[in-house]
Amino acid sequence: MKLMSVTLLYVEDDRDIGIAVSADLRDRGYAVRWLESGEGAAEAAAGCQLAILDVMLPGLDGFTVGQRLKRAFPNLPILMLSARTSIDDKLQGLEFADDYLTKPFHPDELAARIEVLLRRTGAAMSIPLTLKHLMVYEGDNRIIEADSGKEILLTGKQFQIFSYLLRHLGQILTKEQIYEAVWGESYMEGDKTLMVHIRYLREKLELDPAAPEIIETVRGIGYRVRA
Amino acid sequence: MRIKSRFRNLHSSLLSRYLLIIIAALLLIPVVVPLTIGMYSLFNGMTREQPPEKYKQYDNINALENTWHKEAKELLGKPPEFINERLRALSSTYSLAVMFWVDGEGQTRLLLESVDPKLWQQNERYSVPAQWTAAEAISFMKKSNNLEPLSIVAFVGDQAEAGEGFMVMQIPAAVKDQTSVDGFSSWFTIVMLVLFTGFIIVSLLFFIQIRKRLLRLETAMVFTGEAGLPRSIVPGKSDEIGRLETAFNTMVTELAASRGREAEEEGLRKRLVADLSHDLRTPLTVIRSHLHVLGKEALTPRGQESLKLMDERIDSLSGLIDNLLSYNLLSSGRMTLNLERKDVLRLLRECAAAWYPLWEKEGFQIEMDLEAEPLYWTVDESWFRRILDNLFQNIVRHARSGLYVSVKLEVIDDQRLIVISDHGRGLGSGSESKGAGLGLSIVDLLIKRMKLEWKVDSTRQGTSIVILSPSDGILNET
Repeated sequence: MKLMSVTLLYVEDDRDIGIAVSADLRDRGYAVRWLESGEGAAEAAAGCQLAILDVMLPGLDGFTVGQRLKRAFPNLPILMLSARTSIDDKLQGLEFADDYLTKPFHPDELAARIEVLLRRTGAAMSIPLTLKHLMVYEGDNRIIEADSGKEILLTGKQFQIFSYLLRHLGQILTKEQIYEAVWGESYMEGDKTLMVHIRYLREKLELDPAAPEIIETVRGIGYRVRA
Repeated sequence: MRIKSRFRNLHSSLLSRYLLIIIAALLLIPVVVPLTIGMYSLFNGMTREQPPEKYKQYDNINALENTWHKEAKELLGKPPEFINERLRALSSTYSLAVMFWVDGEGQTRLLLESVDPKLWQQNERYSVPAQWTAAEAISFMKKSNNLEPLSIVAFVGDQAEAGEGFMVMQIPAAVKDQTSVDGFSSWFTIVMLVLFTGFIIVSLLFFIQIRKRLLRLETAMVFTGEAGLPRSIVPGKSDEIGRLETAFNTMVTELAASRGREAEEEGLRKRLVADLSHDLRTPLTVIRSHLHVLGKEALTPRGQESLKLMDERIDSLSGLIDNLLSYNLLSSGRMTLNLERKDVLRLLRECAAAWYPLWEKEGFQIEMDLEAEPLYWTVDESWFRRILDNLFQNIVRHARSGLYVSVKLEVIDDQRLIVISDHGRGLGSGSESKGAGLGLSIVDLLIKRMKLEWKVDSTRQGTSIVILSPSDGILNET
C-alpha cells in the first residue's frame, strides 16, 4: 500500500541497529539510504522525503548533522533518535527536529511517527485521509463528505485549527497548544474564542454536532482527532 | 622589615589619618592664639573703631583717678555751690559716670545720674543715702570693692583732714570692660569658632568619604553580574577599605573559579550519564528490533506471549535506566535547575495528554478536573514533567488492578493542591510496589529542590498523592 517513491535517509552508527531498522523500514515499503556517519549526509539527503538521525554519532554529532540538513533542505522533516536520557537534549534537539524518539523504540512506533511526519509535510498527501464520513485531501486543502461527495468549506481559522489537529493525528492537544499554534499568541485562561470556533467547526464537520465523532473532546485536557 | 611594613600600614591607615587631623587641630591652637593676637594688634586700629568714641575717655583708669584727685584738690575750701558747679561741669564731660559728693556733715549734696542708665546692671546700683553715717560710709566702701563698677573716691581738698567731705565717680563695668578687652575677645572668639568649624568640616568630609567608599563596596556586593556573581571593583587607596576591596575582589574571583569548576563537574557528569545511557540503550534497541523480527516468524501463541512480555520489560528497563541516571545527576547535587514561573495546570494537562492514550488502551477509568485559573509555581519545566511522568508511570505499572486514575485540582483552606489518585493496591503492598522506589525517590528529590511539598496517602484501596507549593498560599493572600 505504501508508495515506492518515498525515500528515507537514515544515519545510524551502530551496525546491528542499522541493519535491523533499515530492513524493517524496507519491509514497510520505504526506500532507505543508510549511512554510518554524518559525513556526506547532505549529499545523500537530496531526493529523500525524510531524515532519521541518531544523536550520538562518531565525528559530527546528530544535532550538527540535523542543523546542516535543515539549512540545506528546510522542508525535509527530521526525526531524531536518541539513546540519551530524555532530560536535557530533548529541548535542544527539538529546536530544529520535527520529532524525537528515545531508544529503545519499538519499530511500530518509529513507523507510526514516520507516517505522521510524511503526511504533515505533504510527502504522502495525494492519498486522502479517511476520517469516519470525511475524505480529507490535505495537499489541496479539500474536505469531501464521502457519501454525498459534497465539499465542506471552512473559514481560515477553522481550517487552521482542523489541520493543526490533523497534523497531530491521534494526539491529545490542549486548548493552549491549539490556540497558540493557530493564533500565534499566548492563551489567556477563560478565553472562549477557541471553544466558539470548535463549535462552528463541528457544525460543519460532524454528522451530529451534539455527539461529535471527528473532533473528540477529552474532558479536562483538550481535543483530539483520531485516525 | 616587619616594623617597616607596620609603619607602612600605619601610614596608610584610616585611624592614623584621622589622628593626623586631630593632631593638626591641636597643634593649631598654640599657633592660632599668638597668631590671633598678632593679627589683632595689626588690625587694631580698624577694630578699635568698634567701641563707641565716648567710651575712650574711660580707657585709662589711672589718668581718670589722677584727674579726679586733682579736681578734688582744687575744690579745697570752696563753697558747696562752687563744688556743685564744678561737678556738673565734670559730669557733662564724663556723662556716662555717676557722680555725687558728700559734705563734712555727711549729707549728700549733689547726685548726678549717668546719661545712659541702661549701661548699669541691676546689682551695680548703689542707692546713695541722703545722710551718711560712719557705718554707711564703710558699707559703701565695702560694696564698691565687691561691685564691678569702678568707684573713684577722693576727699574734697584731696585730704581727709580738711573735713570737707568726699566726692565719688562711678564708671559702669560695661563701659570699663568694653574699652579694654572686648574688641580682642570677640576677635578671639571668631577665630576659635572658625578653627572649630573647620575641624568639624574636615572630620565630616573624612567620614563622608569613608561612607561613600563603603557604599560603593556595598553596591558592588549587592548587584550581581551576568553569572549571578558580583562584579569585581577597581580598588582605590591602600587603606583598610582598599584592602577590603582587594579581599572582595579575591573572593569574587575565587567564587567565579569555583562556579566554573562546578559547571565543569556538572558537564562532566552529564556527559558520563549520556554516555552510560547510550551504552545501555543501544543493546536494548538491538534486542527490541530483533524481537520484532522474531515476532514476524511463525510462532506458537505461547511464543508470541513471551515476546510481548520481553518487549514490555524492555520498556520498563529503559524507564529504569532513565531514572537511575536522573537519580545519579540529582543526588550529586551538581544539577542546576532552571526554575521559572510556570502554570503547572498547563504542564499537568500536557503531560496527562501524553499518558491518556496508554491509560485508555489499558482500560483505565480517567477523571480529569483541571479547569481553573492558572496555577503558577516556580518550577523547572522539564524536571516537573519528570515528576509527573514518574507518578503517571507508577500508576500504569503498579496500580493496574484499580483501573482508575484521577488528576484533580482541589482547594483546601485557600491552598490549591494537585491530587493524583488511583485505586491500586497501595504502594506498601507486595508485587505492585516493586520498582516504584527509584521513581518516587526522584520525585521526592525534585519536589524538595523546587521547594514544593508532597504527601502520599496509600492504603490497600488506593494511593493518593498531593502536591502543593507552600509559598502559594501566602502569595495568594497578599
